[in-house]
Amino acid sequence: MKTLIIIPAYNEQANIKSLIEDITSYGYDYLIINDSSTDDTEKIIRENNYHFLDLPINVGIAGVTRIGFKYAYDHNYDCAVCIDGDGQHQPKYVHTLINEISNGYDYVVGSRFVNRLKPASLRMIGSRIICFFIKLKTGVKVTDPTSGMRALGKKVIADFAQNMNFYAEPDTLCYTLHHGYKVKEVQVEMKEREGGESYFANPFKSIKFMLGVLLSIIFVQW
Amino acid sequence: MPFSLQIGLIGASVLSLAFVLWSVVKNKMNIHYAMVWIIWGMAMVAISLFPQLIFMASRLLSIEMPVNTVFLIMIFLLYCLSFYVFIKLSKHNEEIINLNYEIAVLKKQLEDLKHHHD
Repeated sequence: MKTLIIIPAYNEQANIKSLIEDITSYGYDYLIINDSSTDDTEKIIRENNYHFLDLPINVGIAGVTRIGFKYAYDHNYDCAVCIDGDGQHQPKYVHTLINEISNGYDYVVGSRFVNRLKPASLRMIGSRIICFFIKLKTGVKVTDPTSGMRALGKKVIADFAQNMNFYAEPDTLCYTLHHGYKVKEVQVEMKEREGGESYFANPFKSIKFMLGVLLSIIFVQW
Repeated sequence: MPFSLQIGLIGASVLSLAFVLWSVVKNKMNIHYAMVWIIWGMAMVAISLFPQLIFMASRLLSIEMPVNTVFLIMIFLLYCLSFYVFIKLSKHNEEIINLNYEIAVLKKQLEDLKHHHD
């Protein structure tokens, strides 16, 4: 199965090299999408001759993943896997996602909590609230809606390449469930970030994220 | 309405319209966007010249204070206009993403070609 690993990268100079070395050691096709980074990300990519798209204008993570899906669609890939450029998703789990796509699933999410208990942190309360609303809307119980590690089958790639209007990962998941795609979660481990700062370190951004995701799930994704 | 107030309003609305027209020409504002501002400016001049229009509208809508009719109309127009701007903005966002993609792919192909030549 022709598989493309999509790696959105914005100011990931600290992580990108080790990540790409890890991915290439498994022999996957990959594509880094450099979202007009202001640090040395582009330099590192060029020095090592990595495959990449260099965006002239910064469009943010949602736009970048969408561009990745467009690329996968235009180059006729059967499967696309999203891996964050910050090093928290481990390439050694990618094959479990791809396996489920070849088993006929359309959208496979790498979840931290399929057979592990969710800790009771503030962040996980947010995760539970999102799970509740997804269950309410689609009737399906998910365990890790905010996971950005996911694999898309051919049908979903085509769908997302043409029209995609998502706030973040949870409403994307909700959309695929709602549209009757075959969705599965598989257990993966995620690392703490190795460098850079998390988006959710800022409480206002966390609130904005929750609001955007919930409004999108409730009102926008039909 | 006191005559001095009306004179002031006429002056202000004519000046606003003049400013809009001048800016449209100077900044080469796209005619599709300029249209609504020109029409709105003319409407303001018309209302300050003939405030009876607002009194008539108030009676028609059973609004006691004509000033509330002015607020209602203006706020609703602004509401519509800013909504239209949001729609446009979101379309432009979409177009930027698409263009970004096209340019990035072309850049990649060009660089790959160069590598082949070297």
